[in-house]
Amino acid sequence: MLKKDLILKSPVAKTIGIENIKDGKFGAVISRAGVGKTSFLVQVALTRLLNDEKILHVSLDDPMEKINLRYHEGYTNLTDHIGYIDPQKAVRLWEDIKPNKVGISYNESTFDTAKIRDYLKSFKKAGLTLPSVMIIDGLNFDKDISTVLEALENLNQEFSIVIWFSMKNHREEDLCENGFPIQLETYKDRFDKAILLQPVKNKIEAIILKDGDRTDQKFRLNPSTMMIIEE
Amino acid sequence: MIRDLKKVRNIGISAHIDSGKTTLTERILFYTDRIHKINEVRGKDGTGAIMDSMELERERGITIASAATYCEWDKHNINIIDTPGHVDFTVEVERSLRVLDGVVLILCSVSGVQSQSITVDQQMKRYKVPCIAYVNKCDRSGANPVKVSGQLRDKLGHNSIMLQLPIGLEDKHEGIIDLVSMKANYFEGENGENVVIKDIPAEMMEDAEMAREEMIDAVSLFSEDLTDAILEEKEITEELIMQAVRTGTIERQMTPVFLGSAYKNKAVQPLMDAVINYLPSPLDIENEAIDLDNNEEAVILESNFDKPTVALAFKLEDGQYGQLTYIRVYQGCIYKGDTLINSRDGKKMKAGRLIRMHSAQTEEVEAIPAGHIGAMFGVDCASGDTFVSPQINYAMLSMHIMEPVISLSIVPKDNKAQINMSKALNRFTKEDPTFRTYMDHETGDTIIQGMGELHLEVYVERMKREYDAEVETGQPRVAYRETITRKALFNYTHKKQTGGAGQFGRVAGFIEPCEEEFEFTNKITGGRIPTQYIPACEKGFQGCMNKGPKLEFPVTGIKVTIDDGAFHAVDSSEMAFQSAARGAFLEAYVKAKPVIKEPIMKVVIETPNEFQGGCMGLINQRRGIIQGSQEEGVMSVIESQVPLSDMFGFSTVLRSATQGKAQFTMEFSTYKKVPQSIAEEIARKKQEEKNNN
Repeated sequence: MLKKDLILKSPVAKTIGIENIKDGKFGAVISRAGVGKTSFLVQVALTRLLNDEKILHVSLDDPMEKINLRYHEGYTNLTDHIGYIDPQKAVRLWEDIKPNKVGISYNESTFDTAKIRDYLKSFKKAGLTLPSVMIIDGLNFDKDISTVLEALENLNQEFSIVIWFSMKNHREEDLCENGFPIQLETYKDRFDKAILLQPVKNKIEAIILKDGDRTDQKFRLNPSTMMIIEE
Repeated sequence: MIRDLKKVRNIGISAHIDSGKTTLTERILFYTDRIHKINEVRGKDGTGAIMDSMELERERGITIASAATYCEWDKHNINIIDTPGHVDFTVEVERSLRVLDGVVLILCSVSGVQSQSITVDQQMKRYKVPCIAYVNKCDRSGANPVKVSGQLRDKLGHNSIMLQLPIGLEDKHEGIIDLVSMKANYFEGENGENVVIKDIPAEMMEDAEMAREEMIDAVSLFSEDLTDAILEEKEITEELIMQAVRTGTIERQMTPVFLGSAYKNKAVQPLMDAVINYLPSPLDIENEAIDLDNNEEAVILESNFDKPTVALAFKLEDGQYGQLTYIRVYQGCIYKGDTLINSRDGKKMKAGRLIRMHSAQTEEVEAIPAGHIGAMFGVDCASGDTFVSPQINYAMLSMHIMEPVISLSIVPKDNKAQINMSKALNRFTKEDPTFRTYMDHETGDTIIQGMGELHLEVYVERMKREYDAEVETGQPRVAYRETITRKALFNYTHKKQTGGAGQFGRVAGFIEPCEEEFEFTNKITGGRIPTQYIPACEKGFQGCMNKGPKLEFPVTGIKVTIDDGAFHAVDSSEMAFQSAARGAFLEAYVKAKPVIKEPIMKVVIETPNEFQGGCMGLINQRRGIIQGSQEEGVMSVIESQVPLSDMFGFSTVLRSATQGKAQFTMEFSTYKKVPQSIAEEIARKKQEEKNNN
């Protein structure tokens, strides 16, 4: 019950929609540095964890401990947002879902899809359920990364794993005519979901850039917790 | 022995496996003239390093038991405990840390802070042992002491401050720059015994000056005099810096970092100077004992030779002349022939031969004063016992000892082996509190218990080598536990009136899960069960905890509350209430949804990056949960939690999956509920065993 309540309260449910997280191929959370890409991606992953699915979080920026901390923080923000929850229940639930998350930390130079493939293959070999979502945080979209994206597309095909990326844009860059940041524009055909986060008057505005019907919808988020501000 | 305690250091050398502990100790003993030739670990001369006194250790190239030795450097007495690096033997490390005043933490300049360094660091924190760091193997390719110092800061949270800079690294490693004296040190001669002090090479001067400035800035926090000198732009003397570093180190506020290459005989002597300059003497450390005659109040021990003696036995060994007991004296002085009391059992004993150890060689002494480490012959005691003068009754604080998680049945091959085996087991259990043994009454087998597969393997081999006791071992077994998952009521009447004295007792209440092993609460009112029978009820319940009704594993985590009952004026007895409690327990236990719990181990794998995915796969195949993986240079560290039952033979599997390039450490983490399918499998096996018997 608690799980369902938490999923419903998730900023992801309100903005992107729960069904959209698992469907498709690639999703992107785009913002300038320091706005909250990772925190939002953690919320994306948490909705899957709360649905008893496994997730894989690959970070090219944060060490393992920090990834774990971010998840704990994200979970606490979510439980706080729902109002009063029996703290013991909340802790127990966290202990239950925590093991389904695996954080891997790479350097940008050593990030290699072959290693991830080896790892995912071992799930199949051991007859285990595969992670449903993979988060890749910190990939540099200013460079030409089409080969990496192609390899990741293959992983998506082979293991039916949806991949969500953080995508950093820059203050000085203008948006393209269609409202897309240049980083997304370059690879727009590969992505079926995209959400842009931008700071507006002490709040964060979440704009759905790519997602069928919802496109161009806007939401307000609390910058410190990433929770929806109900207006 | 030196009586001026300012000139005594009791230090340990701790590190990850293969970081070069034993190699470093060998160099120290060589430079302090305790040995006259350097032997290498796994040396070509077949002698092996002197600190690895056990044959087995020499063969495996690892150090298992801590050997104590002493040496002299710059008119100081240094007692060194060489500690084992493998997690399976951590009780040895823990015991050593208990008696040490300071530690040299060795780190590999290539691998940096590894999993074992983290374990050792936690233990140092527990016992509040100050440390200095030595970044070894600076001659190896990929050496990066600055990175290692950073890891010490980031991963272990030390305030690491480099007091030296390397002159060249990898195959160009020639020596070090001492940032305190601002001199370059080179090590010449066949074994690096000649320290040649020169001016800092011109091309390094700028770096050295910058590093010195940073260093002084950081250590000035620990000395007002130094801060004043900086502010008033006075001359900053070496003494001022050294005093500040010493204060910071002893307070555990900073960790000075030194570097070198023990194998290539580079910069071991400056490390010895650092031991004397920065690690505490026994006078700098406060040690506590508990006064058993005064409500276990804590008492501070003084390193005063005239006060009543307090000494701790921290290690036992079987020597040529009987049991050799390593002791640390905390207060007073033990003289040959002194009468001492073992405060554990109150037995009197006489201090016989007192010796100072130099690895396997002994040197007789007349007395062991406070602050020193020595050994006694011919004393019957267990490890961790406290010896005191007859007028006091103190015990040193109990040491943190873990419960064993794995067991193995052993059967002696013949009659001779049977006798020797019991001798060996008797010795080992005294030496190592995490190694236990008992007789399984059902199978008649002797069972040994320990902290891991390797732990038990080593003891089986030692039995064979040291005691000539050949044994056959069974399959290792995991120490499963049973527990309940919900509250259940009981209301049981024990009634027996079939001739002779009758028996009657009724107990009612409930059992529920709890964090403690066992809890008993009495909520009986109105004398429904007379007070004198309550302890019998508790005893009855507690008796059931040893063997769970489900699969006969020990039961843990149960709180029993009794709130009602009945008795009979004639037929009720303690026996009757014990039986009633047993009946009640069985009645409620089935209703309380019992489950089996298994030990979960924290497994940390360190592997070259290319095998990261594969190694994570190995964990997946073993019901393991990966907590995360992190790349550090060329190596990846994978942290995971894996059930112990799936870890048997893992070292072989890991070796073949990674061309022998990965290593792992394992330690007990927690008990967790076994999944249903595995529980059924355990039940089936247990049934089969029963049928076979």
